[in-house]
Amino acid sequence: MNYHLRHVTTYEYAEPVDLGVHLLHLAPRDLPGQIVESSEVRTEPAPLFAREGRDHFGNRVTWLFLPALQTSFAVTSEARVAVGFPAPPAPEVTAPWERVAGWALAGSEGAWRAAEFVFDSPYAPADPATRAYTAASFPPGRPILAGLLDLLARMAVDFTFRPGVTTISTRPPTVLAQRAGVCQDFSHLMIAGLRGLGLPARYVSGYIRTRPRPGEKRRRGADQSHAWVGCWLGPEAGWVDLDPTNNLVVRDEHVVIGWGRDYGDVSPVRGVIMGGGSHGLAVSVDLEAA
Amino acid sequence: MNEIGGESGEVAGVDEMVDGAGRLRPHWRTVLNGIALLGDGGLAERARRLDRAFEDEGVAAMLPGGVADGRVWRCDPVPLPLAAAEFAALEAGLAQRARLFSLLLADLYGPQRLLAEGVLPPPVVYANPAFLRSCHQPDGGPAPVLHLYAADMVRGENGAWHVLSDRTAGASGIGLVHENRQIIARVMPELMRGAEIRPLRPFFDFWQDSLARLAPPGRANPGVALLTPGTTDPMWFEHMFLARELGCFLVEGGDLTVRGSAVFLKTLKGLEPVDLLLRRVGGRYLDPLEQSPERLAGVAGLLAAQRAGSVRLLNHPGADMLEAPAFAALLPRLCALLLGEPLALPSLPTRWLGEPSARTEVLAAPTRWRVRPALDGRAPITVPGELSEAKRAALLARIAERPWDYCASPPFPPSVAPCLGAGGMTPKPIVLRLFLVGDGDGWRAVPGGLARVVEPEERLSGRLPRHGMAKDVWVLAEEGADLLGPPASPLAAMPIRRSVGELPSRVADNMYWLGRYVERLENTARLVRATLDRVVRGTWLPREHAELNTLVRTLAQGHVIDGEAAASVPGLSLTLLATVAPTGAIGRILAEVARLTELSRDRLTGEMYAAFTQSLRTARGETGRVDRSLDQLAHALSAIQRFATIVAGVAAENMVRGGTWLFLELGRRLERASAILADAAEVLAGPAGHVETGLRLLLELCDSAITYRSRYLALLQPAPVLDLVLADEANPRALAFQLAAIRRLLTDIGGGSETVFSEEATLLLARIAGLLAEIVAAPEQAVAAAALPAELANLGAEIASLSDRLSRRYFALLPAAQTIGLFEEQDRQRGAA
Repeated sequence: MNYHLRHVTTYEYAEPVDLGVHLLHLAPRDLPGQIVESSEVRTEPAPLFAREGRDHFGNRVTWLFLPALQTSFAVTSEARVAVGFPAPPAPEVTAPWERVAGWALAGSEGAWRAAEFVFDSPYAPADPATRAYTAASFPPGRPILAGLLDLLARMAVDFTFRPGVTTISTRPPTVLAQRAGVCQDFSHLMIAGLRGLGLPARYVSGYIRTRPRPGEKRRRGADQSHAWVGCWLGPEAGWVDLDPTNNLVVRDEHVVIGWGRDYGDVSPVRGVIMGGGSHGLAVSVDLEAA
Repeated sequence: MNEIGGESGEVAGVDEMVDGAGRLRPHWRTVLNGIALLGDGGLAERARRLDRAFEDEGVAAMLPGGVADGRVWRCDPVPLPLAAAEFAALEAGLAQRARLFSLLLADLYGPQRLLAEGVLPPPVVYANPAFLRSCHQPDGGPAPVLHLYAADMVRGENGAWHVLSDRTAGASGIGLVHENRQIIARVMPELMRGAEIRPLRPFFDFWQDSLARLAPPGRANPGVALLTPGTTDPMWFEHMFLARELGCFLVEGGDLTVRGSAVFLKTLKGLEPVDLLLRRVGGRYLDPLEQSPERLAGVAGLLAAQRAGSVRLLNHPGADMLEAPAFAALLPRLCALLLGEPLALPSLPTRWLGEPSARTEVLAAPTRWRVRPALDGRAPITVPGELSEAKRAALLARIAERPWDYCASPPFPPSVAPCLGAGGMTPKPIVLRLFLVGDGDGWRAVPGGLARVVEPEERLSGRLPRHGMAKDVWVLAEEGADLLGPPASPLAAMPIRRSVGELPSRVADNMYWLGRYVERLENTARLVRATLDRVVRGTWLPREHAELNTLVRTLAQGHVIDGEAAASVPGLSLTLLATVAPTGAIGRILAEVARLTELSRDRLTGEMYAAFTQSLRTARGETGRVDRSLDQLAHALSAIQRFATIVAGVAAENMVRGGTWLFLELGRRLERASAILADAAEVLAGPAGHVETGLRLLLELCDSAITYRSRYLALLQPAPVLDLVLADEANPRALAFQLAAIRRLLTDIGGGSETVFSEEATLLLARIAGLLAEIVAAPEQAVAAAALPAELANLGAEIASLSDRLSRRYFALLPAAQTIGLFEEQDRQRGAA
């Protein structure tokens, strides 16, 4: 599928900003299964100084230093992306989940990078309740992908998509208790549960198509930054992305910006400003089939 | 017994002074000879003098607020001597570890081959909270630098030293080493006489020189700064000491700013580039943009600047992760692999429980081991054998769940050294901390160190306690060795400096606000005093009554009192009394003055600081005694006015006319100018018929009544009064005097190149002169005067705006920093997704 992406973030400040430094995770990364044909990040006002590079996870990042005395800041990311992630292996042929956990912890060849995603991170630390919920999908010896798909199906039944009932400081046990939240909450919960079992899980930041295909229902999380979960199946099978908000295996309806241990590693627009007083924010996202 | 010493009944560690056969070790002879010279009871007497010296001038006494509970670092009168050969071996062993850590650092934040090849187990890196992903440069970049390294060591039963913990983050304690040596040398000179002890001085020279070599390429005369968390840090004294020894700026996060890809110190003359930053702030809190944003410490963009290579952080921010005790289990293998040498100086025997075989061994008999968190070098050791059944079970469960988080070591009794106790010298267990500095080519150790007594209940950790008993460490010189060390490279003659330019903006900010608040205090006290006098006297005449009403209105307008509560005379008395309560207007200003005085402490001489604080304490004491007595209130107001006079006097007579003084003075003058404008606008408000009351009050509030009478006798007319309090540049209480002073100060601060602010003061002066000319020329002066308040309020607003712009131009704006993209905005970014 070919997509045209447009993501606009606008800040309006009550007082002039003396100094603004920003870190952007907005440009989609090239991947097997995702070709970024063009990508551009523009800001208004234009930065005094900008630098592009890659972060620890290999994601594309932009550092910006804005000129002084601005009362607004708008950043627009536009890209043309072709996506078509390969189908995952048949669930029953994937390795038993305990073996996957063992590979990750040993950090053996081919596994050491995945090992990073086993350990606690600020927004998705393992906890007993979330682990217990997750463990129900992983009886001894179950092939990992079978367990993951079962977990996805259970989450689709057990959780209600409801904006406004959580904030970024809501931790997985709370989301589990109230059985409601938004895509970031479901992703953090799933990650925390898998980590509790010693399984590598990473937070993927990106977008889902705005308009559904004819005859399909509109996906949750369209018009916004979206998030889902990358799951590791072992050194051979590698990573597969699962969208707990829509009970989907990620194939051709998602565009990946990048990944990290949790939201904190890949938040789209991050900044420190001096001055500015109170501020207003507007975000719009369009991911249209091209 | 301490935790590495094991349960009572186990053998104690070896004795530093005597060998197993009870013979004195030769290198102790010097120390014992020195002690013998002191005679009977001489040692105990010196110990008392040492205690007093440390209490009076020790590091703790230099901390803001002084010593809270009398618990300070003290120094035992018996030093710990180290033989020359032994010290050389330790220095070489520690230098090897430092080289090894440097290579580890380069790999961990670069290609990560050690992880890819399975040499380093992933948890040691990825579960390590001090591994900084934001510093990882997979595509290459400036090499991370390890510059300062320290290690805590204990001597084992076989006589060999073992490293208990590696310090790669801040390596605190060099200040204590220096202080111990200085005070011992002063209090016990006999002890050092005849002893060939290596001096500390050459080390500091080497350190200072090494900084020039570590600067980014092309910076011959690098800008060097030491980043401290600030005056509340327990080691702040050491930061101050090091900045002085190394001849660099002492800065806080708010003093620095990143522009483009470079780091600058905000000084008065503008932004000064910083090429080397010695950090005493944890690596995780250096940059709120890329790290924990909830603590707006650090400098936004610092890591990006480091990545660009324009500034070098010493140590590299990511170096803190090497303090993880788990590395102790891995170092022998890493040393063989990376350096091709055996590890010369071993760590305490350590098992990392992430290793299945180590886990089996330790869990088989957990009470035989000492357990410590594997990834936190500052956490104390736990002794499973001393835990209750339930607590031990909980610990073992945590280990089973997260084995990579734990390390275990066998009991390891430290050596003992003689310390002065109640009944003479007794052997006590000690830990030795040595310090090394590297300049990129080699490493050199401080020829001394910090030995400290392990207290009986202490749980050893890598963290230096806030107080304790130290011992001066003597490194004995070899026969005929050069006691002075290699000659320091010759220093270029220092240029004479008189400019104010290099004053850090934060210091200027504090001085400016100290000036403003002292002046505000005085002005408020004067207003309250004028009101109080009339309340006490009673207002019998309509004129007196009008004056009182005007004063109350002025006080209410300035938010000094609540106008409604003051409507009746008893109500007014109570509101006046309330101004000096801690929550009252004067009480709050006093607290702010006290706070700013503490913050400015390192910029005031001892005498100035004493004069400020003594009179401030008296004033606060007087306000504390005010209960329901107006008389007592009058006393308190007098004490406050005396304090303001003392500050003015000290500033005028004792302060060098440098940046510190300029900003203190600027603050006072600006505050007084705005107070005159506010008071004048308030007292002149009203119909023209009431102008005379206003004029009389204005003379009183501007302390100019006597001058007026001497010029014009008792006849009150608007133009002469307004000339005296607004336009007369010779009257130190007049507005024009303040503006003329402000113009001079701003000219000096601007240093000839920056004239925009001083020109503004000139314009304001011209406007005052113009206003006065209009009054003089007016057919009805009273009508013209009554029309003044609007224009005076405009001038007041302009002065406030000038102050704002001065702040923006010269001062740090740290409190206004905020993060975006992670908190409430982030919830909106999350929106419906």
